[in-house]
Amino acid sequence: MAERIGVYVCECGPNIKDAMDLDEVVTFVQGLENVVLTKAFGLLCAQEGQELIGKDIKEHDLTRVVIAACSPKEHEKTFRQCLEKAGLNPFLLQIANIREQCAWVVKDKSLATDKAKAIIHAAVRRVAYHEPLEVKEIACQPHALVVGAGMAGISAALTLAQKNRKVYLVEKLPCIGGKVACYEDVFPSLECASCILDPILDEVLHNEHIEILTLTEVQEVLGFYGNFLVKVTKKARFVDTETCIGCGACLETCPVTVKNEYNEGLDERKAIYIPYAGALPNVAAIDKKHCLRWQGEACSACREACPFGSITYEDTDQVRQLRVGAIVLATGFDLFDPARAPQYGYGKVEDVYTSLEFERLVNSTGPTQGKIVLRNGQVPEKIALVHCVGSRSGKFHEYCSTVCCMYLLKFAHQVTRQLSGVSILGFYSDLCLPGKEAQGFFNKISQEGNIQWLHMKEPDSIEITQADGKTLIRFTDVHGSPREVTSDMVVLAPAMEGARDAGAMAQIFDISQGAGEGFFAEENSQIAPVSTAIEGIFIAGCAQGPKDIQSSVAQGQAAAGRILSRLVPGEKLALEPVTAEVDEDLCCGCKLCVGLCSYKAITCDNLKNNVAINKVLCRGCGTCAAACPSGAIKAHHFTDTEVSEEIRGLLRQG
Amino acid sequence: MKGFEPKIIGFLCNWCSYEGADAAGRARKAYPANLRVLRVMCSGRVDPQFILEAFKEGADGVMILGCHPGDCHYKEGNLQTLKRYYVLKRVLSTLGIEEDRLRLDWISAGEGDKFVQVVSEMTERMRQLGPLPR
Repeated sequence: MAERIGVYVCECGPNIKDAMDLDEVVTFVQGLENVVLTKAFGLLCAQEGQELIGKDIKEHDLTRVVIAACSPKEHEKTFRQCLEKAGLNPFLLQIANIREQCAWVVKDKSLATDKAKAIIHAAVRRVAYHEPLEVKEIACQPHALVVGAGMAGISAALTLAQKNRKVYLVEKLPCIGGKVACYEDVFPSLECASCILDPILDEVLHNEHIEILTLTEVQEVLGFYGNFLVKVTKKARFVDTETCIGCGACLETCPVTVKNEYNEGLDERKAIYIPYAGALPNVAAIDKKHCLRWQGEACSACREACPFGSITYEDTDQVRQLRVGAIVLATGFDLFDPARAPQYGYGKVEDVYTSLEFERLVNSTGPTQGKIVLRNGQVPEKIALVHCVGSRSGKFHEYCSTVCCMYLLKFAHQVTRQLSGVSILGFYSDLCLPGKEAQGFFNKISQEGNIQWLHMKEPDSIEITQADGKTLIRFTDVHGSPREVTSDMVVLAPAMEGARDAGAMAQIFDISQGAGEGFFAEENSQIAPVSTAIEGIFIAGCAQGPKDIQSSVAQGQAAAGRILSRLVPGEKLALEPVTAEVDEDLCCGCKLCVGLCSYKAITCDNLKNNVAINKVLCRGCGTCAAACPSGAIKAHHFTDTEVSEEIRGLLRQG
Repeated sequence: MKGFEPKIIGFLCNWCSYEGADAAGRARKAYPANLRVLRVMCSGRVDPQFILEAFKEGADGVMILGCHPGDCHYKEGNLQTLKRYYVLKRVLSTLGIEEDRLRLDWISAGEGDKFVQVVSEMTERMRQLGPLPR
């Protein structure tokens, strides 16, 4: 049956009407094949215009509609709704853009008339081959997986947790809270970190919709948005989390002592340990690598000491399969290793610390109970704070880590608060103080202590060495003059990098790493900062790039919001209808398309020797269809036939 | 060749180049009427067959306009186009079609002026080359 096409030419007030000979256009269109109705109308997007189209579709049994008007970017959706209301599939519409790309850019009326005719002709020829497309829906898992229990991950988990939705919060460490749990104070409010964090952690620990999986790592991810199957391994803790109350009796009797990585190696812990005082959940864990039982010895000191019978040597690692609809990766950051830049003396000069080491040093639950002392136990009289270590120079990282200036100011405050009369040397080449609070914070801190700002020529115009028992700092000042000073203690602000295992994570989750060192690539840095190229996998916090606590929280909540808006418990997931599809009979199994797909939507069935496109993952770009040598891939709404007809319509007269 | 007006087909990606063309329109920037635009979701959809077909159906020149590298809405569709473009240019020259009759360029949604410039240059070049002999 021949199609019955209705063509509507919008005058758009004078915009289109005055730019061309509309009568000639209408007469031309009336003569086109399959066109049963042609109307020019003052303003089609107005209510009357839409009503007219709806009425005509029914009265004239139109099977296809062409709207010759403004850009499809303006009103394609409007007119699709108009078709749908009249009972016609919304994809049986084609817009001929005769305003932005004709009336407004062709000044000669006769040329504009010809161009408009060609554009409408193409639309008429194309629309005859349009196929009705259905917006399909699939059942989905409302549950979510959050990887990383730092600020971003916790914010995402708390926002997501609700009735009928379970959140699995996976953390590779034995405790939650991330890096912030290791801080004493936070900038710029100078609030105590545990005062803001502990109530939130408590909320997470007691939320019935959140299951916390500590000592757990993701091994494998299968599936797609709405239906991921995630394999995780929960390492044996060897301590029963239900009965252990964190009393610490076991720690006292354990005979093994190792460096405590949770205090940045500044003190020691036992083979059975609680990472730091106040770590949550407040439960001990046995470090299998160092515990004597796994070195072949028969020690059971901790079991004997435990008053609650909580030690469980028979624990084993457990593999679990989690079914979730969406995933948030909030795996945080690690610091640039300053030993890579020998000029900073890190690891060689005794009292040179990284910022995270200093955070522990100044922390009341840290190795010195918060006392700022040198390794020899003496109180420093001079402390140097060095900005931009490994940042903003071509040698290591080009980017600015955005938070270092602020936390160094916080350190200055903490030092001044504790050690009256201490002098602080601030080595910087630029200060990064954006936003509504930073400059005020700088002004306040600069006034309260004895800070001497030393302006370097370049971020790395500095060398730190040990000479005659003193820490000597040589630097080139902003005027190019070499200078030198001594200091008792040096605190470095190394660049933030994506977590050490971010590369492995990227492989497991099949997402990319983007700008900067190790950070996950967002879908679009401006308008889609928390989504990735893989639908349903979101990123938040420092896993995406260096940021402060408030931005991490915002991203965690944003990622959760994206999930909440689509993965509604009990509801189905609407799929994008403009996707590609494979004709199994035509596919020769060459797999050329598989590697071209940015979304891993194409998989090959080696038994049948053909490929299939997952409709949930496909975004409809059509790159695969263009590459298919056997013409087996159909790009819906941009099929070979539709495009060919459009080409002919644009080039042939009538 | 005086009086000859070439027909040019432009495959424009939905997200950047088509928006760029619309931007030129909204700013009422005049450009030669020779261009006939065909919208695709991604420049990666442009099958080399479409280009050959356009030449067969009467186009004197064909343009593919996509997002700038790195800005592709679909991540890398435009890079696939770039690869095909170089192969296709060689194919075209073996068919006796001058390489300049096919042009690939990147136009962002904000580059209305660049769009006008590229279309004007292409039209001028096609005027110089004359009609594609068939």
